[in-house]
Amino acid sequence: MRLEKCWFCSSTIYPGHGIQFVRNDAKIFRFCRSKCHKNFKMKRNPRKLKWTKAYRRLHGKDMTQDSTFELERKRNRPERYDRNVTESTLKAIKKIDKIRVAREARHHAMRMKGKKAIEQQAAAKELEQSIHLVKAPAALQEDPSLTLPKMKIKVSQSQTEDRMEE
Amino acid sequence: MDKPLSFCSGRAWSWTSNSSGSLWRFGLGTPLQCRPGWREQQQRTFIQMRTNLKVVDNSGAKWVMCVQALKGRRGVRLGDTIIASIKEAQPRGKVKKGEVVYGVVVHAAMHRGCCDGSEIKFDDNAVVLVNKQGEPIGTRVFGPVSHELRKKKHVKILTLAEHIA
Repeated sequence: MRLEKCWFCSSTIYPGHGIQFVRNDAKIFRFCRSKCHKNFKMKRNPRKLKWTKAYRRLHGKDMTQDSTFELERKRNRPERYDRNVTESTLKAIKKIDKIRVAREARHHAMRMKGKKAIEQQAAAKELEQSIHLVKAPAALQEDPSLTLPKMKIKVSQSQTEDRMEE
Repeated sequence: MDKPLSFCSGRAWSWTSNSSGSLWRFGLGTPLQCRPGWREQQQRTFIQMRTNLKVVDNSGAKWVMCVQALKGRRGVRLGDTIIASIKEAQPRGKVKKGEVVYGVVVHAAMHRGCCDGSEIKFDDNAVVLVNKQGEPIGTRVFGPVSHELRKKKHVKILTLAEHIA
């Protein structure tokens, strides 16, 4: 039993799933589900479809080079069954998976690093520019504290005098 | 390559509205030629009488036409045997045009389920000519060959094959 990779989206194909297409030049294309198969038949390029791993790797959304990927390489030489080896391999698989997931999470965090600051800046700018959509300008002038509740307003001398006159 | 859409009649596309507004979908209402990818989404069926098959060995024949499917009511699939008539042959080969021969299907465009549950399909329909005992007439087999043949006991063809898929 062997877990293959889908040619289109790079997800694992478990036994009993998917379709294999053998081309006349003996190249085998394995698909995990009919979605990938139909896209292949439509001659779509997986590197251009955002939901495939090929796109994500190409555009730097997912980790490309890591030592954990070396351990997942395809091995064609069959190993003689040894209970201890099997046990340690299973344990190693679990550990490697954990490490890989942690590294991928770190890569994602690095990618999204400046996002919150950018979002805050954009929000502040929008508030400053478009506050007239929310509050009428006349109301803002009367009571400046209606604009940004957290900002401290310096009340100038002339304004207080106007109020006194009213 | 694609036909211009102008030849489609006015009601070619079905306007379906869903929550995000009206979209036009290539549904079952559209004529086949208007749907993108229609050429690749052919329904592949069994190999039956009058099916043309390519010959992938060096017996001399190029194309055969199936004359009888030896097993199966609807037709024959990957790994089965057929009786075929040679339609096109190379001038100096072991067989001649018009001969009636047996053949083993090694490529089928129709998908066939493997014992582990997955499905396999090839790009075209191809056959290897055999004699009545099941031994191949030619001495070489070109292209990939399905390993379903092992179950059908066509071991000689497997040994001659260059690639087993």
